[in-house]
Amino acid sequence: MPEAIVSFMPATLQRILRPLWPEIGAELEEVRVRAERPLELRLAGGSRYVDAAGRMTAQPHEAYKPTRADCAAVLELLTNHSAYSYEAELKLGYITIPGGHRVGLAGRAVLEGGSVRLIRDIHCFNFRIAREVVGAAKPYLPSLLDSGERTVHHTLIVSPPQHGKTTFARDLARLLSAGEWPATSSAAWPGLKVGVVDERSELAACVQGVPRFDLGPRTDVFDGCPKAEGMMMLIRSMSPQVLVADELGRPEDAAAVREAIHAGIRVVATAHGTGADDVRRRPALRELLGEGAFRRIVTLRREPGKSLQGAVWDEQSRRLYATAAWPAAATATGVPAAYAPAHAAAKGAAPP
Amino acid sequence: MKLFGAVIVLLAATLFGFIQALQYARRPRQIRELLSVLQRLETEIVYGSTPLPAALAGVAAGAAEPIASLLRTVAEGLVRRPETPLREMWRLAAEQAWRRSALKLPEFEAFARLGTTLGLSDRADQAKHLRLAAAQLAAEQETARDEQKRYETMWRSLGVLVGALIVILMY
Repeated sequence: MPEAIVSFMPATLQRILRPLWPEIGAELEEVRVRAERPLELRLAGGSRYVDAAGRMTAQPHEAYKPTRADCAAVLELLTNHSAYSYEAELKLGYITIPGGHRVGLAGRAVLEGGSVRLIRDIHCFNFRIAREVVGAAKPYLPSLLDSGERTVHHTLIVSPPQHGKTTFARDLARLLSAGEWPATSSAAWPGLKVGVVDERSELAACVQGVPRFDLGPRTDVFDGCPKAEGMMMLIRSMSPQVLVADELGRPEDAAAVREAIHAGIRVVATAHGTGADDVRRRPALRELLGEGAFRRIVTLRREPGKSLQGAVWDEQSRRLYATAAWPAAATATGVPAAYAPAHAAAKGAAPP
Repeated sequence: MKLFGAVIVLLAATLFGFIQALQYARRPRQIRELLSVLQRLETEIVYGSTPLPAALAGVAAGAAEPIASLLRTVAEGLVRRPETPLREMWRLAAEQAWRRSALKLPEFEAFARLGTTLGLSDRADQAKHLRLAAAQLAAEQETARDEQKRYETMWRSLGVLVGALIVILMY
């Protein structure tokens, strides 16, 4: 992991950071390079600066301050000396590097017709370390399966940012594609054809079209494609049995989900929110939930330094599964409380 | 013996004159080569979005020496030592190539300046810089042609004449 990140740094930063890796490799979450401001590491336990001798410090004034030349070199390395061939990425504000790590960029925006055409004078870099948690979705799988159809239910995965939505969706795609079913009657089911629409290159972290994360052997990835359009294109061209998409939210996304559901394709999608309450406040998703489009809702939480916690709810707001540390009374942040007006009656009967 | 020396002096002076004349003849040709290289680079960058190492290697394949080896050196350098800024590699390779060519300082300035912006911006901006460099080179090409017209034949005869003069003075 660390080598992939360090190799995108100029010699000055490599000399400072390299000795630190063995110590912090496991808990490193972000490396922040900002021109003429302290070099910062974000670890699972908090934030640390790094001084010119490669020692960690809590004092910003002791820290090494990357120069403008350092930042220019980072950008040259990230874009393979060819910023022009990364125009789409520079417009979106991030570049995905081998290993699935994501480098966020900030600088001066160049506008064209009111929207951002690209970013220039880039002087802030955020190296976000991606971790693939193989098996994250495995304990939840039995409660997500539709045994009649030998497939998965339409599932919406809900969590706040950085709480494991994407990790979960990725692992679920892998399990379905590889056919790693729970060891019960379903063990002999074949794996499913999975189509992934990876608008923000987070699910698969494709580099030149090839996924860097394991999404299973029967998975087709549409990288960098708008969700609604990508879902329709995959339905037409790749005949998927399950569609996976990240971060639903726009009206056209809802239309595409509806289209997929009516085409007999199972949909696994994620949405920002602490529970269905939040999701319901977003018009596009409210309609989908109101129609009962999603048969399962997974809510996830991750406290810093602890493992992923989550629960699975059905469309009647009944809790089907929860991890050991999931708070028993967490209905308010979970789905049930006000899932949809149609299901309000089920509220009382909800949690065990 | 004296006659033998005279012949050598005459030959040397003639050769020197011809070499000078050749330099004047080669300069516009090599500037034209540079211009066509820039044009192909622009196509690779603007229409192909080809990453620079591949674009340079591709353009080098169709170019003449010493420009071809200049581009190849930079392309290989980008792959082997990616942490070196392009502008340094570009300048270093250009200095080496210029020593082996008939090209002069104004072309060098225009070409080396291109290295400070190449690959660092979007396609529209890259096209602008490439065209600016091409315009500067085109202006140099004009002067080079003028000089060729004026000095090429002059040097050719001047060499022989100076040689003859020395020989006459020796006797």
